[in-house]
Amino acid sequence: MAGALIHIENLVKKFGPFTALNGVSLDVYPGEVHALLGDNGAGKSTLIKTLSGVHQPTSGQIYVEGKPVHFRSPRDASAAGIGTVYQDLALNQLMSVTRNFFMGREMTTGPRPFGVMQMREMDRIAHDEMVKIGIDISDVSQAVGTMSGGQRQTLAIARAIYFGAKVLILDEPTSALGQKQQMEVLKTIKRVRARGDIAIIFITHNEIHSKLVADRFTFLSLGEVIGSGTKADLEGEDIRRLMAGGAEMADLEQELATI
Amino acid sequence: MADQSASAGRTEADRLRQGSAFMEILKRPEIGAFSGMLAIMIFLWFIAGDVVYNPLGIKNNLAIISQLGIIAIGACLLMIAGEFDLSIGSMIGFAGMSMAMMLKWGLPFGLGPATPFLAFSLTLAMTLGIGFLIGQIVVRSGLSSFIVTLAFLFALRGLTEVSFRLLNEGSTQISGLPDFKETSTVAYIFGGETFKWLFSLLYEIGWNVNRRGNQWVTGLDARVAWWMVIALLAYIALAKTQIGNWIYATGDNKEAARANGVPVRKVKISLFMFTAFTATIFAAAQVFDTNTADAAKGNLKELEAIAAAVVGGTVMTGGFGSIVGVIFGAVIFGLVQNSVFYIPWIDGSFYRVFVGTVLLIAAFANENIRKRITGGI
Repeated sequence: MAGALIHIENLVKKFGPFTALNGVSLDVYPGEVHALLGDNGAGKSTLIKTLSGVHQPTSGQIYVEGKPVHFRSPRDASAAGIGTVYQDLALNQLMSVTRNFFMGREMTTGPRPFGVMQMREMDRIAHDEMVKIGIDISDVSQAVGTMSGGQRQTLAIARAIYFGAKVLILDEPTSALGQKQQMEVLKTIKRVRARGDIAIIFITHNEIHSKLVADRFTFLSLGEVIGSGTKADLEGEDIRRLMAGGAEMADLEQELATI
Repeated sequence: MADQSASAGRTEADRLRQGSAFMEILKRPEIGAFSGMLAIMIFLWFIAGDVVYNPLGIKNNLAIISQLGIIAIGACLLMIAGEFDLSIGSMIGFAGMSMAMMLKWGLPFGLGPATPFLAFSLTLAMTLGIGFLIGQIVVRSGLSSFIVTLAFLFALRGLTEVSFRLLNEGSTQISGLPDFKETSTVAYIFGGETFKWLFSLLYEIGWNVNRRGNQWVTGLDARVAWWMVIALLAYIALAKTQIGNWIYATGDNKEAARANGVPVRKVKISLFMFTAFTATIFAAAQVFDTNTADAAKGNLKELEAIAAAVVGGTVMTGGFGSIVGVIFGAVIFGLVQNSVFYIPWIDGSFYRVFVGTVLLIAAFANENIRKRITGGI
């Protein structure tokens, strides 16, 4: 589709006899937050793992900026500009902010891997990139273990953007945080959105969070899309019903009442 | 409800207290080892006095400190990357045997006599190969390096003894090798003396003088220079370079490291080879210094190396530690090991009591520092 950074067409992923994704289509646009919602086991994880090159699709096609792509590894996906921020954030607690920011991609002078790190320059970049999306870390040599959950999210997101992510996949970034921290992360998402050039896929369980930041929604259930649209399209729709995999809340309430 | 304006303007970043310079020093991983080292030095000064710090005392202290220090650096880097090597001691025995046999009976397969250079190079090639093999087994099998290297501890020691008995008429020792360091530069680099200029200078200024008025100590053992060079290079590599960042990343959380493109397996395999390298340097210094070899050499050295690394602030679970700390750790254990000579009435086995006690204290202290950094306390 025109303008879409990522266009997913009829993606199918089978693990042996188990069909995890059964023909999922999705468009993600730059400068937009696309919320991906669904209950546990709906196929959200499989979808993002396919997008980030961990799994190869059984059939279907992924297009990045209109060009068909085949990711054989996470490295391929990351080279194509897809940055995934997993729940564990891929951070090392005992290492400093800067060392984490540049982990595996250190700026050095001299031959690899014995090149000397340009620590001052790296400190400056890590600090500035995090300021851009909203937190001002006073000391980038502090260990990541001393940071709050929200700060860690910001670090992981800033890192993904700095290293060329055009599409940012956030895997339940608010799920393990307290209320205030969740709001920090939502603010960060908004700031990244405001740049206008980055497409964000926001995976969440939380309908309130998705309503606060998302422009477009896709609901997954049992490996299929059961509802999608822009914020305006879904006005008045029962998001909670879609999130529960299409089950009527009234039915659930009735069931609960009989116990 | 009352307005909670007290917290207005307070951001998340404010919660991390900016400590004073003194507090920053207390957070360094080396601080425990440094204080311990000072305590030992002062204690020995009071108990034994000048004999510990006169030229001969310094030479003897550094001989034993540097020996332990070399392998402790290997153990430390590997431990920061999250693995152990229990085969260091057996590797020392193996390397020493290999060199001594070549020097005595020539190269394998009747390829002629071995020069010290050839004996060392061939031995190093073998030990690096074994280190590579250990590393491959650990990263491919996912087995604990504790078990894999324990297997090599037994196997290498056994192999060394068997080879000795087969070739050496049942004896597990070789002695009476020619004094190669008189004739060969390579042998001299390992077994000769270093810092001769310094000790000449000390003689000139009237300190390094024996009872007859001549120069007393001519120089330090060559292994002291090896220790210094290896420590300096390891320090730069760990603290300043890309590979250093990879070593920390590998030991802290290897999945996170891998997800960011750190070649975790290569890092680990290289470090297993590095510990083998340090064991070989240890053995070469011993063989070319004494012109002897013994199948039992290096026994329990792997545990002393690990103990020195832990006392130096290296965290057992990986991801944290420093070369400076390990230098202090080696000094502590070296001095205490030597203190038997300085305090004649003490039973030498107290050394082990001391190692055990200090090790336990250090492990607690390290865990405390680790928790402080990760915000656990």
